[in-house]
Amino acid sequence: MRVTSAPRRWMVGPALAALLLGVSLVVPALQAQTSPVALAIPDAKTRQVVEREIARAVSRGLPSAPLVAKVMEGVTKQAAPDRIRAAVAAQAQRLEEARGLLGPTPTEAELVSGAEALAAGIPTAMLKQVRAAWPAQSVVMPLDVLTELVARGVPPKQALERVVTLMRRGATPVQIAGLGAAVQADVAAGLAPDAALEVRARGVMSLLPSPAAAAALAPSGRRP
Amino acid sequence: MRDERDEVIEAVRGALRTSVADQGDPRAVARILSAAFAAPAPSRWRRWLDGWHLPVLSRAGAAVVAVIAVAAGFVARGVLPNREPMDPMAVTGELPIPVVPASDPRAGAVATQFVFEAPTARSVALVGDFNAWIPTAAPLLRLPSGVWTVTVPLMPGRHVYAFLVDGARLEADPRAASVVDTDYGRPSSVLMVPGR
Repeated sequence: MRVTSAPRRWMVGPALAALLLGVSLVVPALQAQTSPVALAIPDAKTRQVVEREIARAVSRGLPSAPLVAKVMEGVTKQAAPDRIRAAVAAQAQRLEEARGLLGPTPTEAELVSGAEALAAGIPTAMLKQVRAAWPAQSVVMPLDVLTELVARGVPPKQALERVVTLMRRGATPVQIAGLGAAVQADVAAGLAPDAALEVRARGVMSLLPSPAAAAALAPSGRRP
Repeated sequence: MRDERDEVIEAVRGALRTSVADQGDPRAVARILSAAFAAPAPSRWRRWLDGWHLPVLSRAGAAVVAVIAVAAGFVARGVLPNREPMDPMAVTGELPIPVVPASDPRAGAVATQFVFEAPTARSVALVGDFNAWIPTAAPLLRLPSGVWTVTVPLMPGRHVYAFLVDGARLEADPRAASVVDTDYGRPSSVLMVPGR
């Protein structure tokens, strides 16, 4: 004699299975909502487009962090969803372009600096020249300074010439950064951008060894 | 549960004795009860389920319940309300983004002080490429003079930043050079950290 009725078995099994299925579908949805992009972009449609844009960039081998940061920047600046999407797409394009120009194996920091340089209007050929000057050293600082000099109003050609000369003469990243900071301060104080660069570049140059000695001391190690 | 079951068995045993004895076969009761006890006793799990007295569903009914539950899961995926953008710092642990708290200087970083004058502001935050533009990463401290300040370690190089006033208004640093924001067209400042 069975106290349990047979039909009840049919109710319990599928109900539990359905519960598990339902939970398994809802939990990933909740988890997806806690991703940084999901938190930043409340609008579901824009979020999907932006996430797809980032996923596409990652599938092309680009780093996701600069793209997520671009999203966060847009959110903090209260940009419209369409503008955020466009900014992320533009940043992905610049990163990809920088990768081609700074090859063969640029670091993520170099890609970001290269993308910033391109955004500032520096011609693509100049990024190649910077890499050629320091093929085995990080070009983050030279690119940052080049970008800043151009942003201050120095003609790109003049800025590139001075920065590359310093690189070839054996200037350190700290010395190159100092050049950028000094020119920035001089321009803020009212000096003409090109004049400021000439003065400060001479100052750094005077601290460097002669071209012959610089050639002997040329860096040959890997990028830090 | 066990007591209830015993009571039921006793009731059945009595009923059987009465009805079968009336038909003149005294061994029939023993046969029926033996057959009943030969069946495996329900497990504890089964007894627990039985205790719920759930409504009985046919196979079709159970299948419908399952389909509805699965459909509810899919619907929930699409229509669950989005959470408000909560504290982004709470999720930065999952981000491959370098968020540099002031208390955790990295090797090679240069302590850099930012100052912003806003006597009437309720809050001021430093946002920039060094903290992924996360508003809660570097709040400024208000001094009695109405000047806000924060010191953060920055890696040498070029940094773009701004101040977020009262959680909504973005302002460039009047003490620093401004920069054209090609992507969003908002005011930003730029700082060259020279390094050591």
